Amino acid sequence: MNSFLEKIKFYSAHIIFTLICINDSIFINTWIAPGPIINIKYILIFYFCFFEKDRFSITFLFLIGLIFDSLQGMPFGMTSICFILLSKLASYLKKRRTQTNFQNEFVAFAISLLIVQIISVIILSNFSQIPFEYLLLAINIIVSLIFYPVIRTLLKVFYHY
Amino acid sequence: MSENRLARSSTPGVSSLQRTISKKFLLPSYIIISFLFLFSERSDFRAIRFLKALINDGITYSIYIVNTPIKLISDMSSSAKQYFNFNIVLENKKLKDEIEQLNSEKRELQFFKNENDNLKRVLGIKNKDDYVSVYAKIIHEDTNEFAKNLILTIGSNEGVQLGQAIVRNNVYLGKISEVNLFSSKAMIITDLNSRIPVVIPSRGVNAILKGSGLGGAQLLFLPQNAVLENNDQIYTSGSDGIIKEGLYVGKIITDNKKDIKKRKYSVDLGFKEHQLNYVSVLKVKK
Repeated sequence: MNSFLEKIKFYSAHIIFTLICINDSIFINTWIAPGPIINIKYILIFYFCFFEKDRFSITFLFLIGLIFDSLQGMPFGMTSICFILLSKLASYLKKRRTQTNFQNEFVAFAISLLIVQIISVIILSNFSQIPFEYLLLAINIIVSLIFYPVIRTLLKVFYHY
Repeated sequence: MSENRLARSSTPGVSSLQRTISKKFLLPSYIIISFLFLFSERSDFRAIRFLKALINDGITYSIYIVNTPIKLISDMSSSAKQYFNFNIVLENKKLKDEIEQLNSEKRELQFFKNENDNLKRVLGIKNKDDYVSVYAKIIHEDTNEFAKNLILTIGSNEGVQLGQAIVRNNVYLGKISEVNLFSSKAMIITDLNSRIPVVIPSRGVNAILKGSGLGGAQLLFLPQNAVLENNDQIYTSGSDGIIKEGLYVGKIITDNKKDIKKRKYSVDLGFKEHQLNYVSVLKVKK
């Protein structure tokens, strides 16, 4: 029974992540704030790859990325690359730090988010004609950084205590 | 211990696939596949487009099935609210009054329509293209930092084409941006990429309405001496030749500054995002 509950707890992260990816607008824009201003999916990937690098497999991130691209009308493969890159960055930065405190973790998240958003901008400008505004992107990064401690605390309470 | 065992295992459904392919090859192969997909965006091969349309259709309809229970739960809460609405008698009376008023306006409009048709006949002005509307259900609504999309249940099977307008109760919502076999994607008016020619008939002013990406829209290329007032109505001008003219878009909101040059205008759109279930796609009647 215990192992069954543990299994549910383990896979709940996958379910939450999938639902957030396919219902980005429902979860974020109508409940929390108007407009595409926060990136919960990146926060989730970073958190789980930073603390438990094996929780989200590369195959899972690749497939969810494809689904996300199909739904959002993004160039196919863009989000998969971003998801995989973020997960690899998170586990690499975790490995490099000998001492893990919140400050280090936050800086690692900021660096990873910035790199991933730069990559997505490069891909968008080279492989697609979808225009974007740097201001919106900057808002997205800043608000994601502000919300990171809150979401991370909630996840830590649920998954690691 | 069991947690470690779980951590070593992988996502359900894909674990068997992972076991067969060495982990070392997974990362580069996924990156290569992703880049192949990206390079295929540039190609114009019919087979690739068909394959993508198939993948999009598959994903769209599976998401629809996954989302059905979530939608049911959210619909249940709104119907519960309606059930416990104790002001229903008052609301009913108010609605009846409103219907009466709308009916009288409708009769008046019919009179003007007939008069307009007669004048057109006398002046020899031909009517523009007729449009037929095709009803579509919204199966998904998505917003991110780059785009705002609605996914509709009809595609090329119903003759949907790129650029066709989507409306709800004659209010312009956006246009078709991608067509698959059994589904299509529509770009909402608030999308950063959206630009439509509009007219403000009460002032005789033409402009371009551009989406702001944050749930609103703004007017571009207004004439320098244009003076607009609060509640001036905006309609599609139809000057692009694809979108029907005269579709209601929204109304003007100004900051009412006395200095006209410093006055700023924003647009109150005629619909609310995230509250749409059904829309109509307007097609030119052949």
